[in-house]
Amino acid sequence: MAMQQQTNEVTFETRGDVMVIYIQGDITAFSETKLNEAYRSATGQGAVRLLLKIAADAYINSGGIAVLIQILAQTSRNRQVIGITGVSEHFKKIFSMVGITKFATIYPSIEEALEKMAVSAA
Amino acid sequence: MACSATLAKMHGCPEDRIEDLKTVVAEAAINAMQHGNRGRPESRVTVKIEVAEDTIHVAVMDEGEGLREEVADPDIERVIANNAPAVGFGLFLMRKLADLIEFDRMSEGGHRVRMAVRMQSKAQLRKPEAHLAVGNRG
Repeated sequence: MAMQQQTNEVTFETRGDVMVIYIQGDITAFSETKLNEAYRSATGQGAVRLLLKIAADAYINSGGIAVLIQILAQTSRNRQVIGITGVSEHFKKIFSMVGITKFATIYPSIEEALEKMAVSAA
Repeated sequence: MACSATLAKMHGCPEDRIEDLKTVVAEAAINAMQHGNRGRPESRVTVKIEVAEDTIHVAVMDEGEGLREEVADPDIERVIANNAPAVGFGLFLMRKLADLIEFDRMSEGGHRVRMAVRMQSKAQLRKPEAHLAVGNRG
């Protein structure tokens, strides 16, 4: 049984006060480098409010959860606000079980996230 | 993972339980490869899936020795506050999502994790635990 190493494609878009990070592909331990690079790049551009947009059909395993938690730890230290969208009902449940929802708000859509995360809404 | 989902679907398993099944099978297989077999490509991981009545039984076997000690559930608040390694979430999810989980060393060598996932949604479940007992298929 060989593990298949996949890569993610990550793109950014600034929408109002929020830096949206679009993540294509499954999120696993192999995503660590790409996602950390994306986080550092967004932070380097001055992003204070980050929204991770996960692909609708993405599979997320415990390795990917660990990567996301590392990013949450960095946002916590850097006093950034982070939201996540695009997550299926199953992974919403998983995120709640592991405690990710204590540190990041899960939004049903990008539009709702942008509305709720805007500085004016704070 | 896809095979387990297909089998579950064939037996009328609801979508939420199929997702739980996919996660526990994947996490058990990852643990078997990474921790059981310590990443040795020549070591084998075997996955058996059976359906009996309303329950899907999964066994994942590797060539390792299994857990040496009880593994505590991970604490995300501690991980984030202390920048500690985010480990143990796979086992945690297996425990949370499976209705029964057992670990044992096999007499012929190697380690096995057995899990049972009921096909009813957890919200519809009433119990009893005895119904979930996984027989020793050695």
